Amino acid sequence: MDTMTKLEILAGAAKYDVSCSSSGVSRNNQGGIGNAKSFGICHAWSSDGRCISLLKILLSNDCIYDCRYCVNRRSNDIRRASFLPQELADLTIQFYRRNYIEGLFLSAAVEISPDYTMEKIILVLTLLRREYSFQGYIHVKVIPGADPALIQQAGLLADRMSVNIEQPTEQSLQLLAPQKKLPVLYASMAQLKEQIQIHKEDRRHLRHAPRFVPAGQSTQMIVGASADSDLTILQTTQSLYQRFNMKRVYFSAYVPVNEDSRLPALATAPPLLREHRLYQSDWLLRFYHFKAEEILDPVQAYLDTELDPKTAWAIRHLELFPVEINRASYEELLRIPGIGPKSAQRIISQRRVAAVSVDELKKLGAVFKRAQYFVTCKGVYPGHHPLDPMTIRRIMVPEPPTVQLSLF
Amino acid sequence: MDYLYDGSFEGLLTCIYYHYYREKASGIYQQEYYQPALMTDSTEVITDPMLAARVSTAIEQKISKTSLDLVYRVFVSSAANKEFLILHYLRWGFRLGAKVDLYYSHPDVYPLQKIAHKVTAEVHRFLGLLRFADAGNFLYAVLSPDHYILPLIADHFADRLAGERWIIHDRKRDLAVVYDGHHAAEDSARYQRQWYITDFPHPGPLLFTQKEQYYQKLWQLYFDKIGIESRCNPRLQAQFVPYRYRGDLVEFKPIFIKNDG
Repeated sequence: MDTMTKLEILAGAAKYDVSCSSSGVSRNNQGGIGNAKSFGICHAWSSDGRCISLLKILLSNDCIYDCRYCVNRRSNDIRRASFLPQELADLTIQFYRRNYIEGLFLSAAVEISPDYTMEKIILVLTLLRREYSFQGYIHVKVIPGADPALIQQAGLLADRMSVNIEQPTEQSLQLLAPQKKLPVLYASMAQLKEQIQIHKEDRRHLRHAPRFVPAGQSTQMIVGASADSDLTILQTTQSLYQRFNMKRVYFSAYVPVNEDSRLPALATAPPLLREHRLYQSDWLLRFYHFKAEEILDPVQAYLDTELDPKTAWAIRHLELFPVEINRASYEELLRIPGIGPKSAQRIISQRRVAAVSVDELKKLGAVFKRAQYFVTCKGVYPGHHPLDPMTIRRIMVPEPPTVQLSLF
Repeated sequence: MDYLYDGSFEGLLTCIYYHYYREKASGIYQQEYYQPALMTDSTEVITDPMLAARVSTAIEQKISKTSLDLVYRVFVSSAANKEFLILHYLRWGFRLGAKVDLYYSHPDVYPLQKIAHKVTAEVHRFLGLLRFADAGNFLYAVLSPDHYILPLIADHFADRLAGERWIIHDRKRDLAVVYDGHHAAEDSARYQRQWYITDFPHPGPLLFTQKEQYYQKLWQLYFDKIGIESRCNPRLQAQFVPYRYRGDLVEFKPIFIKNDG
C-alpha cells in the first residue's frame, strides 16, 4: 500500500480526535529542525472550521477493541492500514519544513496489544527526536492499558500526552467501551501528573534535567453518545482539572458512525450547540474562577441553549448587579457578562490613572452589548432597561429568524 | 514645519529628534507621498542613525520597552497617518513616562493600540498561513500581507528552519527576506538569525521538483480527509482563512486529484 492511500485512510480515521493545540511549551531550535512556541500556532482550517495545527493521524487503525461509538472498532468492515515508523517520520518532517504543520499528533488503534502499539509509537518519536533532531511539537495519545514504563519513555519524548476518558461516567464507559476500564485510565493520568511534577521539580535544581511532557496532559470525552447530563459532564471535567492538573478537557459532539441500539441513531445530527455551551462553561471553570455547581444545579442540569452560561448565571443572580466598574475587584469584574480576563485587566490598570466611563468601557475591549445591563460607570447605568430577569432575557436572546409561512 | 523622511524607521526617529531639538514638527511625511501645502514649509530630513539610536534609547528608558515595541508595530502598519499618531503618542509619552501605557483608551494612545493589535494579529496569522515550496535548492514562500510584516516574522523562521535556505517574498512590496542556513551551519557562532531583507521585483518562473508536487498532493489529500462532513461549516472556515489569503495556500489550489485507492 502506498503512502498516499495510507494517509487517506489514517487521516480519515483520526479526524474525530479533538485536540489540536500546539501551545504550552517554548523551545528554541538547537541545531536541528523546528521549535515550539508557548502560544501555539494554527496552520490551516479544514472545511468544518476546526483548526489544523498538528498532523493528526493514526499510526494504525487495525484495532482489537470493539468500542461501540468508534469507526475503527474491530467489528466494522473498513480498510485497514498501518504506517511504517520511517514513513510517518519522513512525512512529518516534509510537512513541517513547508510550514503546513506545527508538529505531530500521534494516536493509534490498539494493534495486537496496548504494549505493542505503545512501543511502535515510541519508535516513531525516537526517530523524529534523535534521527531528525526534530524540535517541533509532539502530542501523543496514551494507549489505555499500556505498561507504565512505556508511558514513561514516551513522556520523555513528547510535549503533551493525553489519556482519553471517553465518557463522563464509569457506567457510560462500561456500556459503550466495555474493554476500557476507568481505574486503568485514571492510573495513567495519575502517573503522568506525578512524573510531570517530579521532572518540573528536578529542573528547578538542574538546568539540564530532562523534560517530561512539558506542555502537560489533556483528555477528551464524547458528548451526546450516552445519557449523562451537562451537570455530570461539568462535574467530571472539574474533578479532572483538580485531580490531574489537566491543561485541557476536550469535548467532542458525538457523530454517529455505527448502528447500535445503545447509541443515537445514525441520522442524528451531532449536538454542536451543546458542545459549544460546554466549552463556554469550560472556559468559566478555567479562566473565570467558576465552580461547576455555580453554572448548573441538580434542578437545572442542562445548559441554557439560548444564552451563554455566564449571562445565564448573571440573570439568576441579579441581586449582585449592577457592578460599579471603577470600584469592583478583579474577581467581581470577571463575573460580569461581556467582560473577560483581558478587559478586566485593562480596566484595572486604566482606573489607576483615570476613572472609566461608559464610552471607554467599549474601547477597553468589553462586549458592551452584554455588559451594559450589568454595570455602572461612574455611577451611570448605561442599559436602558430595568434590571429584571424577564426583560433582560427578552432583550438578549436573539430573535429566531422569521420564516415565510407555508401555504399548506 | 513639515518633516519629510525616507520611509525608514531610523528616518522617522530622526524627525522626532529634530522635533525636540530644532523646530516643532507640524507633521511628518514620507517624502514619496508628500503633497506640499500652501501655508506650511517643509524640509527634507536626512536619516541619521546616531540620532535615531538616541531617540530609540530615550523611548525605551524614559517611557518603556513595550512602548518602543508599540511604536515600531504602528510604523510597519499601512495606516495612513501613522507618523502623526506616533508623534502625538510620543509627545504624551515623554511627558508621562511609563504611565502612558495605563491610559489605554486615551485618544492619543488608543488608535495606536488598535493598529498595533492588527499588525500583531497579522504576524501571528502568517506564522501559520505561510507555505513554503521546495524549489530544488531553496524553500520559497510568497505572501501579500496588509502590513509590512517581513521583519517581524523573519526571526521565527530563521530559528525554526535554521538549517535550510529560504526566501519569503512579499509580493505587495516587492521585498523578500533571504536566509541561508547551509553556510551558517558550518560556523556555529553565526548559526542563528543571519537574515536580510532585499528588493525582489521579479521572481521569474520557479521550477518545483516532482517531489514537491507529491507532497503538495499529500497535503491536499490530508486537508480533505481531516474535515468531518457532518460538521461542515464554510462560514467558520472563512472567518479564519479569509478568501484573500487562499490564493497562496496549497490546500486551496485546484490541482487536487482524488485518490480512490
